[in-house]
Amino acid sequence: MSTKTKNEQSVYVYEVPIRLWHWINALAITVLAITGYLIGSPLSSLSGEAYEHFLMGYIRFAHFAAGYVFVIGFIGRIYWAFVGNSHAKQIFLPPIFSGKFWSEVWHEMKWYLFIAKEPKKYVGHNPMAIIFMHVMLVWGTFFMIFTGLALYGEGAGFDSWQYSWFSSWIIPLFGQSQDVHTFHHLGMWVILIFVMMHVYVAFREDIMSRQTLISTMISGWRTFKDNRKD
Amino acid sequence: MSIIQTPNGYTLDSSGTRHVVDPVTRIEGHMRAEVNINSDNIITNAVSSGTIWRGLEVILKGRDPRDAWAFVQRICGVCTGTHALTSVRSVEDALGINIPENANSIRNIMQLSLQIHDHLVHFYHLHALDWVNPVNALKADPKATSALQQQVSPHHPKSSPGYFRDVQNRLKKFIASGQLGPFKNGYWTNPAYLLPPEADLMAVTHYLEALDFQKEIMKTRTIFGGKDTHPNWTVGGVPCPINMDDTGAVGALNMASLNQVHQIIKDTKTFVDNVYIPDILAIGQFYKGWLYGGGISGSNVLAYGDIPDRANDYSAGNLMMPQGAIINGKLSEVHPINLRDPNEIQEFVPHSWYKYPNGVKGLHPWEGITDPNFDVSSAKGTKHNIEELDEAAKYSWIKAPRWKGHAMEVGPLARYIVGYAQGHEYFTEQINYTLKTLDVPLEALFSTLGRTAARALEAQWAADQQLYFFEKLMKNIKNGDSTTHGGEMWDPNDWPAEAKGVGFSEAPRGALGHWIKIKDQKIENYQCVVPTTWNGSPRDEAGNIGAFEASMMNTKVEVPEEPVEILRNIHSFDPCLACSTH
Amino acid sequence: MTETFYDVMRRQGITRRSFLKFCSLTAAAMGLSPAYAAKIADAMENKPRIPVLWLHGLECTCCSESFIRSAHPLAKDVILSMISLDYDDTIMAAAGHQAEAIIEETIEKYDGNFILACEGNPGLEQENTGGMSCIIAGKPYTEQLRYAAKHAKAIISWGSCASWGCVQAASPNPTGATPIHKVPDLGNAPIIKVPGCPPIAEVMTAVITYMLTFERLPSLDRQGRPKMFYSQRIHDKCYRRGHFDAGQFVEKWDDEGARKGYCLYKMGCKGPTTYNACSTIRWNGGLSFPIQAGHPCIGCSEDGFWDKGGFYNRLSGINQFGVEENADKVGIGAATVVGGAIAAHAAISALKRSQNKGDQA
Ligand code: HEM
Ligand code: HEM
Ligand code: NFV
Ligand code: SF4
Ligand code: SF4
Ligand code: F3S
Ligand SMILES: [Mg+2]
Repeated sequence: MSTKTKNEQSVYVYEVPIRLWHWINALAITVLAITGYLIGSPLSSLSGEAYEHFLMGYIRFAHFAAGYVFVIGFIGRIYWAFVGNSHAKQIFLPPIFSGKFWSEVWHEMKWYLFIAKEPKKYVGHNPMAIIFMHVMLVWGTFFMIFTGLALYGEGAGFDSWQYSWFSSWIIPLFGQSQDVHTFHHLGMWVILIFVMMHVYVAFREDIMSRQTLISTMISGWRTFKDNRKD
Repeated sequence: MSIIQTPNGYTLDSSGTRHVVDPVTRIEGHMRAEVNINSDNIITNAVSSGTIWRGLEVILKGRDPRDAWAFVQRICGVCTGTHALTSVRSVEDALGINIPENANSIRNIMQLSLQIHDHLVHFYHLHALDWVNPVNALKADPKATSALQQQVSPHHPKSSPGYFRDVQNRLKKFIASGQLGPFKNGYWTNPAYLLPPEADLMAVTHYLEALDFQKEIMKTRTIFGGKDTHPNWTVGGVPCPINMDDTGAVGALNMASLNQVHQIIKDTKTFVDNVYIPDILAIGQFYKGWLYGGGISGSNVLAYGDIPDRANDYSAGNLMMPQGAIINGKLSEVHPINLRDPNEIQEFVPHSWYKYPNGVKGLHPWEGITDPNFDVSSAKGTKHNIEELDEAAKYSWIKAPRWKGHAMEVGPLARYIVGYAQGHEYFTEQINYTLKTLDVPLEALFSTLGRTAARALEAQWAADQQLYFFEKLMKNIKNGDSTTHGGEMWDPNDWPAEAKGVGFSEAPRGALGHWIKIKDQKIENYQCVVPTTWNGSPRDEAGNIGAFEASMMNTKVEVPEEPVEILRNIHSFDPCLACSTH
Repeated sequence: MTETFYDVMRRQGITRRSFLKFCSLTAAAMGLSPAYAAKIADAMENKPRIPVLWLHGLECTCCSESFIRSAHPLAKDVILSMISLDYDDTIMAAAGHQAEAIIEETIEKYDGNFILACEGNPGLEQENTGGMSCIIAGKPYTEQLRYAAKHAKAIISWGSCASWGCVQAASPNPTGATPIHKVPDLGNAPIIKVPGCPPIAEVMTAVITYMLTFERLPSLDRQGRPKMFYSQRIHDKCYRRGHFDAGQFVEKWDDEGARKGYCLYKMGCKGPTTYNACSTIRWNGGLSFPIQAGHPCIGCSEDGFWDKGGFYNRLSGINQFGVEENADKVGIGAATVVGGAIAAHAAISALKRSQNKGDQA
């Protein structure tokens, strides 16, 4: 399938579930961040009778719906880490005991600090991306899911599974409900900052690195711009 | 041991036997009293110590001034709300915020409810057992009790022999159970109790009636403030809006809730007139020979004044409770007071468990410092087991506030004396009537019993003023003004970089002031000088003793091991220790 | 031994026969089968009113004040007929050593069989440094507390002081005020937290009557609060919830929305994060509750509610990140820094790229 020309070789990197998850996830996060922000700081009041409106209700509903998409998507993504190709595991298991990995991280850092002239070539993610994705996105997602479900359990009530699996221990762990809100809210900013950097880097590397990025996340194929090793 | 002459006229002789009362019970909080009693059973030296401290003034630093009311309200749950009111006033003073007329009426009704409630509960549930012997009530003839009741209060409906018999039976059953509950280990054989059994039974019955009724009084505050105790307040007005005509009125004061306020006010007045006042006069009749405990009430009293008639005017002329100071018992001269003057009100700590920087003696509250320094090294006992305090050293968590260097008594009696001296019509009439009914001279006022009577009279006055403010509120709404919050300066961005203010009120126990300094939208310093800080103060730099200590002096104690008389004197101030030290 | 109801009746000249008859009449009056008469007789013969020692620490005594506001049952009836309130320095007749002796006596007679009600909390900081901030009979309050706690059947932590620490534990907690369950060396008696500043009167009396009626502790949540009153948030049963869902908020004091009873969320209402029964049981005999009177809930039954930023802010303060920040301020601040860095990085990247292109050409 791949068209291997002299300086253009392609590898199939991201399987369908990964790509599907990536874009659904991106959409879910967008909805969650917008609705979440509005839960914390609601829009201006509507006038009239209460029964005529359900604005806050819809905003919260959208948040919860996107929240469940986010949760289920993530569960699917974890499943795919087991059954998918080797790249599917990368963001979950950064090879932190490998010296080579860290030297590559170091190289990437130099590349971003304009010290290295050229980035290396990677079939999967570059090592810096792995670190970032692992810490901010994977753990950030866990955190948002756990705190989000803990908050959800409060509304669902003592008898709900969300309450007994999450709220019952997460709320005391943080101190009280309000602290869970605060940290859930802070978590949003962690993820948003990740997204900012991630999207910037995706465009930048798409232009400046030696491989394709954005089209890879769409088609699954990684195309290299040169055929030098490394 | 030596004999000490205090500048305020007391001879302290600590040669007699030392008696310790710790805890002093039936008060708010924790307090210790120590006295020396001579061979004639007379108290010749008295020491009172506040034994609780929480550090609210330290906690308040750096916080949002608009939140301060909630913190300081928790200084005390007995005079709940008076600190909150004083706090919002201090912030409003600092920032120049005006509150709407309706807010003023509502705040006044809330404050007056507190006065009445606090006085009533104090008399029946904290003080009465110093005068009333529940065990003796078992001997009463219910018929004779009924006759007594009808004689002292012809309008009180609960007065049949059967009613008193029922109460007596319940009491019998209770006492016969052997589980005496709160009456356990009381001093029921002490000869200091003078009431005949019928009066005892009547008073015990009212102990129970008052316990049932008191919760009604405070419902005004539940309607305006959402809960009692610890209702809600806000800087700039009151949180409850008024909505008489429009939809959604369940979220606001409406005709139904205002009707309820009206009814509570009327019922309150009836109870005070029919039960509290007659009981005071009846009990007073039997004890009018027991005129100990005057302390410094006959010489130095202080009142800040409260209950502004029109909103935002805190000048003496607009305050319905009197303002002023009397020194050396000179009723002919009421001194004006100024809470802002750095030389008038100052707090001293040579005998308090705090420290000031070297060389500093007294501090005006705007410059006040709260820096704990517990030290009992010269007391008898160990540091975690005090046997006898050393009053020559530090011995109390209460600071010693002084007005122009004088130890002052504050409270209902102080207010009544200042009011009387100023010719306050209502007060004067009440005082004259009481003195005449009991057939005692004016001097009898300066006593433990006078203090207890003044509190009841004030409850009666307050009940009438509630009605005045209720009518005022309704009239204002009728005229089309239903504003309860002006919204002025709510946003901290509108505040000056630095501001300072003082809020004051007459709390049930006396003059209360909060001094606030605001810097960069935050509290820089917050100092409270509280009624029980005044009354319960330890000695000062010059050796003046405070009102509690003075009241115990020269009192005869029937049975030194049973401190009924000490309790009587101390209780007549209605001490609140959580307040005093905060 | 203590006198039971039966002893009392006997002493009053009532025969065993009429005592038993009284028991069967009581059973009939309660609609119970005659078999219950024996149970009632047994209870009356053997059960004195349960003694309660109500201790006071660092506090404002508002919990006691709230307690006496109870309408159902009346505080009077609780004190005279249900429990035996043997020690409570706020209302007891005895003082000084006569008062303190009662604790001793109660432990002697009812070891392991009385309820310890704690209002307020001890300040451990002063004690650890050789001082005392709550002194009873010349000794630290902690001593009295430990002594009684070790012999109690159960401990009730009244209010937010005893349950969480409350106002005196607010930062910087100058006295080291410590909630009851965190006081070291307190023995093993179960602790029931009844938080609130103060708790609702009827909730307080209900907790007591529950224990007396069913002879067991109420079922508690993970944090030790009776589920019956603390398993839902104010927000879950708030009558203004319709306005919350509709997006109708009070924007400022006394505005149109305030007068119409809109939701107080934007005024900082902590109803969504506060577990208490205010919106269901309400206060003072079901009369009202803070939100009904136009003020946002300040979260007074929650742990550390004093230190969550201003009461009128929806988002809590995060003091770890400076004096006065909330999640959005921290987040927007960080995002701005990162955004700036990205922009700068992009500019340099573009510059480098054009230079490199130049090099290659
Ligand atoms: C909420 C927004 C987004 C999130 C949370 C997100 C997250 C992620 C994650 C976790 C991966 C790794 C996928 C894996 O290995 O499973 C990834 C890869 C990728 N994302 Fe996103 N993404 C977001 C938005 C975007 C957008 C808007 C773009 C494009 C403009 C984009 C472009 C890419 C690319 C190109 C990759 C592959 C990078 C590589 O091969 O090294 N992402 N993203
Ligand atoms: C990237 C993921 C997420 C983001 C950015 C996000 C963001 C937010 C924000 C900013 C808030 C407002 C917090 C406050 O200030 O009170 C919020 C509230 C909430 N979130 Fe999320 N959230 C995410 C995921 C989730 C998930 C997975 C769930 C679970 C279903 C969830 C459930 C909730 C709930 C129940 C609330 C409280 C709603 C309320 O108080 O009315 N969130 N979220
Ligand atoms: N002293 C005092 Fe208070 C009063 N009244 C307050 O200011 O009691 Ni708690
Ligand atoms: S919990 Fe609140 S109301 Fe109760 S004593 Fe403590 S400060 Fe007072
Ligand atoms: S007023 Fe408070 S508790 Fe009620 S619905 Fe609004 S946010 Fe919830
Ligand atoms: S402030 Fe407290 S009283 Fe109830 S409504 Fe909130 S928990
Ligand atoms: Mg002070």
